[in-house]
Amino acid sequence: MSAAAAILALVRTWLWIGAGVAALFLTIGIGRIDANARNAFVFRTLLVPGILLIWPLVLWRWWCIERGSPWIARYRPPSAHGAAAVAMAILVLAALGLSLGARQDWPAGFEPRRLADAAP
Amino acid sequence: MSERPFFVGYVGLPRGSRGFAAALAVVLVLGAGLLATMVARSVDDPGPGAFRFDLGPQKVTGIVELTPAPVLHVTEGTSTIAPGHTLMLSGQGKNGALPRARALEGRLATASGILLTRGTLDMLQIGGGEAGLGPATGASAPALPAPEPLGRWALAGEICDGKCASGAMLPGLGIAHKACANLCILNGLPPVFVSTRPVAGASFLLIAGTAEAPMPPELYDWVGEYVTLEGLVRRHGDLLVLTVDPATLERAP
Amino acid sequence: MSVKYVPVQWNRFKWGYDAVLLAGMAVFLWAFLRIDAAVLGHAREVSGPIRNARAFGACAFAMMTIILCIGPLARLDARFLPLLYNRRHFGVLTAAVALSHASLILNWYFAFSPAERYQTVLFANTSYAGGVAGFPFETFGIFALLALLILAATSHDFWLAFLTPPVWKGLHYLIYPAYAAVVAHVAWGALLDRGSGTFTWVVFAGALGVVVLHLIAALKDRRGVRPETSDWIDAGDPATIAEGRARIVILPSGDRVAIFRHQGQLSAISNACAHQNGPLGEGRIIDCLVTCPWHGFQYEPRTGRAPPPFTEMVPTFALRIVAGRVQVDPTTAPPGTPQAPVPIPGAVTA
Repeated sequence: MSAAAAILALVRTWLWIGAGVAALFLTIGIGRIDANARNAFVFRTLLVPGILLIWPLVLWRWWCIERGSPWIARYRPPSAHGAAAVAMAILVLAALGLSLGARQDWPAGFEPRRLADAAP
Repeated sequence: MSERPFFVGYVGLPRGSRGFAAALAVVLVLGAGLLATMVARSVDDPGPGAFRFDLGPQKVTGIVELTPAPVLHVTEGTSTIAPGHTLMLSGQGKNGALPRARALEGRLATASGILLTRGTLDMLQIGGGEAGLGPATGASAPALPAPEPLGRWALAGEICDGKCASGAMLPGLGIAHKACANLCILNGLPPVFVSTRPVAGASFLLIAGTAEAPMPPELYDWVGEYVTLEGLVRRHGDLLVLTVDPATLERAP
Repeated sequence: MSVKYVPVQWNRFKWGYDAVLLAGMAVFLWAFLRIDAAVLGHAREVSGPIRNARAFGACAFAMMTIILCIGPLARLDARFLPLLYNRRHFGVLTAAVALSHASLILNWYFAFSPAERYQTVLFANTSYAGGVAGFPFETFGIFALLALLILAATSHDFWLAFLTPPVWKGLHYLIYPAYAAVVAHVAWGALLDRGSGTFTWVVFAGALGVVVLHLIAALKDRRGVRPETSDWIDAGDPATIAEGRARIVILPSGDRVAIFRHQGQLSAISNACAHQNGPLGEGRIIDCLVTCPWHGFQYEPRTGRAPPPFTEMVPTFALRIVAGRVQVDPTTAPPGTPQAPVPIPGAVTA
């Protein structure tokens, strides 16, 4: 199997597992862990793509809520905006700088040269 | 205390914020139009290549040669394709004609399809089945024209796939087109070198492959870039064929 | 702040916001696609799918650039807060435009081949070690698209409640590497392919604008110093807190407390809104309720509870006045714990 086919097989497997998690979570799980979701069904279809993509996170949070997680964690927003902004700035500047360095102009002035006559 | 308007979404915009919000909306919509126009106007000319549907279907007879990209040395042409011309052949889409041409190597064959042209570069996209490329009936094959060695050359230009370059895609050259060009060549479409200036009269040279591959594998990393290289040039019919020396490939300054 | 989840909680402002968004997108695409070979003086038209892909790609880049500017603009000037309110719809639309771009590319450059197109995009160009020119810049695009899809797919309020705002926000930090990847995707692909300078200037101006705004906002937002004490924290002169507004205080734990003044009395609640951890302390008291500046979630200042039928709650804190200074107990009381409000000496209470 080529590397490309292997990557695609992994992606498909990931999505299929996600489909399984979505089926389980949207029928059984969601009503158990969120009172606002009980008797609300239409919005659940909107959750399917998210579950397909990040199902491990869904399983982890489901488990946390079933087990009961400390409430304080809800009120501690991440404070890495500054660091994230700086990291993004460095990456963006690097991408732009490297692109400028890699620019090429059509070598229009280059004259083809015969280096040697035909080999005997 | 200065009472700056406080926005609550479900209540709607407070009176003091409406002007600013309306201005933002206008700037966004007009700015979108202006920006799009600026970007679209900076688009480069995709070049003169094209599928020549205007010339109608072309049916020619000739001798098949493999470099291993299939070419046809035309013996009986059309009003557009003169006898003595050497045509590169391609299948439809990103399919090379090699699988069908292999059985016909050195033999007389008829090919029919649509011509693609870009300046002096041209290629015949053959139709499906034997009607597209099949053995010519009745006639015995004349001998293949003997390749004429033209020596070792230093060239500058771009490696691309001949089909996109000749007008199947517009633009069909350049870095943004690299993956597509690689894919075309991998699938057996003729790899072509576009030279900065004509070499012995031709600006487009067919790149010779190896017995196993349509193009030497070392060349894929250089497709779409402007490069300098050295290689042997031979004339097959009226088509130049370039055997690249991969060790000499360099990024053009 | 729904009691029961619905697909989209529409209101008039959101309709207006989305109408402007769609109009902007439509005008962009129309203006881009009306420039044809005749206008440009070219002999041949650029292939239809390539033109469309360029239009959608440029549109997605512009939309993402604007989205990335909204956050810092709203930090620097509150008049931009309405842009933040419905930013998730902007994001979803951007993901859709980016997906259209990807689909046009996939069905053109990577189609018409015997191999499956999802595979061809992975194997057609593997010059990862060959330097910037010729690098498979599609990879950056795939990463950014995946990030945009994850963000769009988790934009419903359910995800905020389910993942908790901190985890949700952490996940949505993906927008930063995604934008960097988009810049690399454009700069190493389209920019290297063009002779014209206009597009290069547009991309540089957009990307540098985002970078500069984020750095300015980050400088402004540098967190204050945490006090190193387990004792009550000094929160300054209570009389200088404006009526209906709050002062934000940092605790030794790093948590922030919003001390609100309402009818001459002080109450302290967590600065982090239960919905999206918006800065409650930058909000106001409207109809006796603390109102979040981001999405208008409301809490009773003394209890930290949303008015019924809503169920959101935030932690509360005890306050006291000592020698004319207000002090906060650094112990966080569980969400919804009632606290006795503290009268400001000399202030008129209702």
